[in-house]
Amino acid sequence: MTARMKLKLKTVFVLYFMVSLMGLIYALMQLGQHCDCAEHDLPKDRAISRLQEELYRLQGQIRQLEKAKQPEKKQPPKSSLSTIFVITPTYARLVQKAELTRLSQTFLHVPQLHWILVEDSPRKTPLVSNFLMKCGLTYTHLNVPTAKERKLQEGDPSWLKPRGVEQRNEGLRWLREDRKTEPGDDGQQGVVYFADDDNTYSLQLFEEMRSTQRVSIWPVGLVGGMKFESPVVEGGKVVRFHTGWRPSRPFPMDMAGFAVSLRLVLANPDACFDGEAPMGFLESSLLKGLVTVDELEPKADNCTKVLVWHTRTEKPKMKREEALQVQGLGSDPAVEV
Amino acid sequence: MPKRRDILAIVLIVLPWTLLITVWHQSAIAPFLAIRKACHHLVKEIFIIPERLAVHHHRLSDEGGEGRREAGGQDSKEYCASDKDIVEVVRTEYVYTRPPPWSDVLPTIHIITPTYSRPVQKAELTRIANTFLHVPNLHWILIEDSQRRTPLVTSLLRETGLNYTHLNVETPKNFKVRGDTRDPRIPRGTMQRNLALRWLRETFKNNNSQPGIVYFADDDNSYSLELFEEMRSTRKVSVWPVAFVGGLRYESPKVNAAGKVYGWKTVFDPHRPFAIDMAGFAINLKLILAKPQAYFKLRGVKGGYQESSLLRELVTLNDLEPKAANCTKILVWHTRTEKPVLVNEGKKGFTDPNMEI
Repeated sequence: MTARMKLKLKTVFVLYFMVSLMGLIYALMQLGQHCDCAEHDLPKDRAISRLQEELYRLQGQIRQLEKAKQPEKKQPPKSSLSTIFVITPTYARLVQKAELTRLSQTFLHVPQLHWILVEDSPRKTPLVSNFLMKCGLTYTHLNVPTAKERKLQEGDPSWLKPRGVEQRNEGLRWLREDRKTEPGDDGQQGVVYFADDDNTYSLQLFEEMRSTQRVSIWPVGLVGGMKFESPVVEGGKVVRFHTGWRPSRPFPMDMAGFAVSLRLVLANPDACFDGEAPMGFLESSLLKGLVTVDELEPKADNCTKVLVWHTRTEKPKMKREEALQVQGLGSDPAVEV
Repeated sequence: MPKRRDILAIVLIVLPWTLLITVWHQSAIAPFLAIRKACHHLVKEIFIIPERLAVHHHRLSDEGGEGRREAGGQDSKEYCASDKDIVEVVRTEYVYTRPPPWSDVLPTIHIITPTYSRPVQKAELTRIANTFLHVPNLHWILIEDSQRRTPLVTSLLRETGLNYTHLNVETPKNFKVRGDTRDPRIPRGTMQRNLALRWLRETFKNNNSQPGIVYFADDDNSYSLELFEEMRSTRKVSVWPVAFVGGLRYESPKVNAAGKVYGWKTVFDPHRPFAIDMAGFAINLKLILAKPQAYFKLRGVKGGYQESSLLRELVTLNDLEPKAANCTKILVWHTRTEKPVLVNEGKKGFTDPNMEI
C-alpha cells in the first residue's frame, strides 16, 4: 500500500514539476513576446530621431532668420521699433494666474514690449514671480500694497473705490527712475500703456499705439454701460466724446483707451493718478496735466474700429469648496491654481 | 528523509515561479520607462516654448552681444528695504513666425470650439486666437450656433492667419431656452460639437495615417501653452485637472501609484462614469474614426453627464492616460466672462450699430 502511495506521490510530484515547467516555458514565451514590445521600441526610437532632426532643423531655421536680420540691425538688442511699456496692476485672487497667463500669451506676439507688472501686495508673491520667470517676456516685477481704507472690501461693488492707483503710480515712478540711467535720445523713445489684467487686447492695437507722439486714443468696447465708448473725430481731431456716462468729464474714457508717449511722461515728473478723484475721473486726473483734448491723436482708423474690450471675468463659485474646507476636506492647497 | 525530499520538492516547485515573477516585472517595465523619459525630454526641448528659442537666439548671436541675462536669471537692485527689491529681467528679442511653421512630425491638434453671437464674442475669439497662434500644428474648427456664417467670425478667422475650418449649425430655438423644464434641453454647444465630429470623420475617412488629437475648447476658458504639448502624446484618451469647475478650486481625476485613473476627485456627483469637464480630456483622432457612432447625446442628458455620454462609447476608465504630472498641475482654467452691463444703450441703442465689437 505504501509503495503504491509512494509511487502515486512520486507521479504527482513529477506531474506537478512538469506542469510548472510547462508554465515557465509558456511564460518565457510571453516574455519572448516582449520582443514585440521591442518592435514597439523601434518606432519610438525612430520617433526620437525624427524629433531630433526636427529640432536641428528648427535651430537651423532660427540661425538663418537671424542671419537674414543681421544686416538690417546694427546690434541685436537695439531695434527700430519703439518700446511699449505696459503697466499692469494685479492682485491675488482665484483667477489671477489664469488672467495673467492669457494676457502674457497676447503680449508674446508683440515685439519690443516691456511688461511692468505691479502687485497689490506688501511682498512679491511666489505665484507671480514664478509665472514671470517662465512667461518669456521682458518684464519688471514691482509691488506696492494699497492702503486699507482705499481697498475694496468683500461685497463692495467694483466701482466703489478706484483700483490699481498706487500700483500704476509705482509703475510710473519706476519708469522715470529707470530712464534716468539711460542717457541719450533713444532711451526717451517709447509708449506707456495701462493694461488691466482682465481686458482683451487685439494685436493691432499695439501697432497703432507705437506711433504716439503725445497722447493717442481709440474706442474701447463693452465699457461705460455700452457696446463701446469712443472719441468722435472730425478732420483728424477729437471734437467730442461718445459716451453714455458723465460725458462732462475732461477725458471721459477708460484706462484702456489711451496711451502716453514716454517723452511726455518723463517731461512731467509729477503727473500721476489721483486716488482721491471722484469715480470715473481717474483717467482725467492723469491726462489733464499732460495734454489738452485738441492735442489728442486719434488711432484705430480715426476711431472707427474697436481694438480693445473691457471684459471682466466672473468670480468662480466656490460654495462647495468652502463647505469642504469647513470639514477640513478642501482641495490640496499645495496645487497652485 | 521524506521530510528533506519534501522540502526539496517544494523548493524546486517554488523557485521557478519566483524567478519568473521577478524577471517578468523588471523586464516589462524598465525599457518603457527609459523610452518615455527620453521622449519627454525631447518634447520639452523642442516645443516648450518661445523661452527656449530666446535662449538659443542669445547663444547664437553671442559674438557682439552685450552681457544680457539669460532666461531664468534675475537682476535684483536693492533699494532701502528688502521687500522693495525690484526684479528686472531683460530678454533678447526673438524672431517668431505667427503661427509657427508646420511640422511633418508633430500630431495635429484639432480644436473644436462652438461659439455663438453675443457682445463679448469677438473679444473672446480674439484672445483665444492669440493663444492658439503659439501652438504648432494646430487646426481650429470653429462652429457657429447660427443659421449662416457671420461676417464677424469669417473675417476674424481670416485675419488671424491660423489654420481653420469654419462651420455652422443652428440649435433649434426651443432647445436653446434653458430653465424651461417642460422642453427637453440640449446642452449648449452639443449640436455644434457633433457637427465637428462628423466633419472630422468625413474628412479623414480615407487618410487614416495622419496622427491627430481632438480637443474640445470653449471660447471663454484660459489655456496654458504647456497643455497642448501634454495632449499631443495621447494614445487613446488623456485626462488632466481643470480649475474652477464643480464649485471647487479644481476638479481632477484620481490617479493611483501605477499611473491609472481609478476615480474622480469631485464633489458634484463623483459617481458619474466620467466626472470631468469638457476641457479636461483629449481624444486621439484614430479612436474617433474607429468608433463612428460615438457622439454627444443630444437629449435626456442630466446636468454634468454630457462628457460621459461621449466618453463611455470610446474608452473605459482603465484606458485613460493621466497627464500634467500625474494630474497634479493645473494647465487649464474654466474661466467665465461676465456679461457686460449695457444699461446705457437704452431701448433704441445709443451707439452706432454698424461698428463691429
